Amino acid sequence: MKKLFPTFLILFFAILFNGLFIISESEQAVVTQFGKPVGEPIVDAGLKFKIPFIQKVIRFEKRILEWDGAANEIPTKDDKYIFIDTFARWKISDPLTFYKAAKNERNAQSRLDDVIDGIVRDEISNRDMEEIIRSTGRSMETYEDEPTIGNSGARQEIIGNILTNVTLKLADLKMGIEVLDVQLKRIDYNKQVQSKLFNRMISEQNMIAEEYRGQGQGRKQNRLGEQIRDEKQILSEAYMKSQKIRGEADAYAINRYSEAYEQRGKDNKINKDAIEFYEFIKTLDAYEKVFDSSSRLILSTDSDFFKFLK
Amino acid sequence: MDPNEIKEIKMPEIEFSKIKFPLIGGLLLVLAYLCFYQVEANEEAVILRLGKYSDTVGPGLHPKIPFIDRVYKIKVDYQYKEEFGFRTNNPGVRTNYSQRGYESESWMLTGDLKIAEVHWVVQYKISEPEKYLFKLKNVENTIRDVSESTMRLMIGDRAFKEVLQKERTAIANLSKIHMQKILDSYESGIQVQMVQLQGVVPPAPVADSFNEVNRAKQEEETLVNEANQEYNKKIFTAKGLAQKMINEAEGYYQERTNEADGDAALFEAIFENYKNHKDITRTRLFLEKMESILASVSDKIIIDSNLDGVLPLLNVDRSSEAAK
Repeated sequence: MKKLFPTFLILFFAILFNGLFIISESEQAVVTQFGKPVGEPIVDAGLKFKIPFIQKVIRFEKRILEWDGAANEIPTKDDKYIFIDTFARWKISDPLTFYKAAKNERNAQSRLDDVIDGIVRDEISNRDMEEIIRSTGRSMETYEDEPTIGNSGARQEIIGNILTNVTLKLADLKMGIEVLDVQLKRIDYNKQVQSKLFNRMISEQNMIAEEYRGQGQGRKQNRLGEQIRDEKQILSEAYMKSQKIRGEADAYAINRYSEAYEQRGKDNKINKDAIEFYEFIKTLDAYEKVFDSSSRLILSTDSDFFKFLK
Repeated sequence: MDPNEIKEIKMPEIEFSKIKFPLIGGLLLVLAYLCFYQVEANEEAVILRLGKYSDTVGPGLHPKIPFIDRVYKIKVDYQYKEEFGFRTNNPGVRTNYSQRGYESESWMLTGDLKIAEVHWVVQYKISEPEKYLFKLKNVENTIRDVSESTMRLMIGDRAFKEVLQKERTAIANLSKIHMQKILDSYESGIQVQMVQLQGVVPPAPVADSFNEVNRAKQEEETLVNEANQEYNKKIFTAKGLAQKMINEAEGYYQERTNEADGDAALFEAIFENYKNHKDITRTRLFLEKMESILASVSDKIIIDSNLDGVLPLLNVDRSSEAAK
């Protein structure tokens, strides 16, 4: 008896430790007996008990899990071939069903591949390119002048439809899986279309560059035209002003001369004497200017100057 | 081996009283290590008791039950960073980036079906460690996936030109909000601090054509500057010429008016005196002028008024001139 006691003690602890198990916050579990699940699945964390050696604990992830699909080339409704790369987040919502239907995460991932890829393909091939790329109908400012027609952005709607259909399909399949979210990660053209697109972008930019150059020439010519216009305006205005000044000068001179030579009195009558005197001295001045040393004078003794010669 | 030898090996006799203190001291240290844990200043610790969440504690020294409590330390104050479209190779004073090879991440379709290259950074914190630990597996990957899909959603709804220029701030802000919404729906326990667009550029294959546009813009400005230069040169010359014309006219004005004044004043002065001595003045002036005229003219012929036939005389004169 004394020798048997330690043996019992060891056996007792062995049974105890095999029967007790801990489920962490990130886990959930199904208890099986000879491979068949028994009782309710364990979804709460804590210390749990099972029948030692007879029952087995199969643990599953309770956290939200990743699903990342491969990029698929899918034709859109308007016949554009695009690569769509999707991802999803899912969780094991019912470990018991999950255990029966999928056994493990790896199987579940490949079932998700089939379900999600198929639904994404259906949804994308029923949509135009613009609906897939855009999410709203906001009008955009592009390099082209005409405003782009919107209203057709439907990315969020597409994502919503995909999630709804995936959820329905999974409910049908009874997998014990809940998909929380499906998102379109990358949408790309294939290489050929991409290089064509780049060519289009390059030619568009070249066009814009030429527009700037042409605009530059135009603005230059315009400026040169302005220069000629302004030059002519400045010079002609100056000519006009100078002529006016000259006119004023001449007008002044005319008035001043006539004022002096006419000698109008208070009755505004021209003084004949003054005119006559002016004519006299001006004529004398004229004689002086007309005759010089090279002139020849033939004078008659009749002239006043020679009256004393007779 | 000889079994007799084994017999000879004896356990060394250790006196328990001698090693009592070091032994107890060592045991105490192990116990202390098992029963306490340290949470650093920027950390929080989540405690699971027998697998079940029991508490989240802040910095300091805390007790725990060995083998029963599990402690997860999370850096809650640390700013985590994820880079998209590029990677920092060598952070430091001269940070080294690599951008090649990340095209699949950075090239994305814009709303007008062009391709833009976008580099961005997401900064985040772990705001709820319990959620971060137990609600979502592989949080970092999820953040990357969510950020990529969000950025493409934003870029996809905007034209290439807008993405490059004025929509950049809006994209960053809306991305942050959208990412947070999705991450909250996953109960990730993540707080997105900032989404920052590092660079939005045309992809390398078309970059040259965009530079060409910039060059063309410069050329346009150069042409306009040339024209302005020519304009300034010509117009300033014309303005000078105009001023010259006006100045000349003003000079003429001065001259003409002054002359008129002078002439008039002279005449008035003379006439004022002439009025009273008409005959004598006329005679004097006439004689004075004649004197000066006749003095200056060397060739003079005086003919008696009674003589007829002036013409022959003139002829003689012509011939005499020819003879000279």
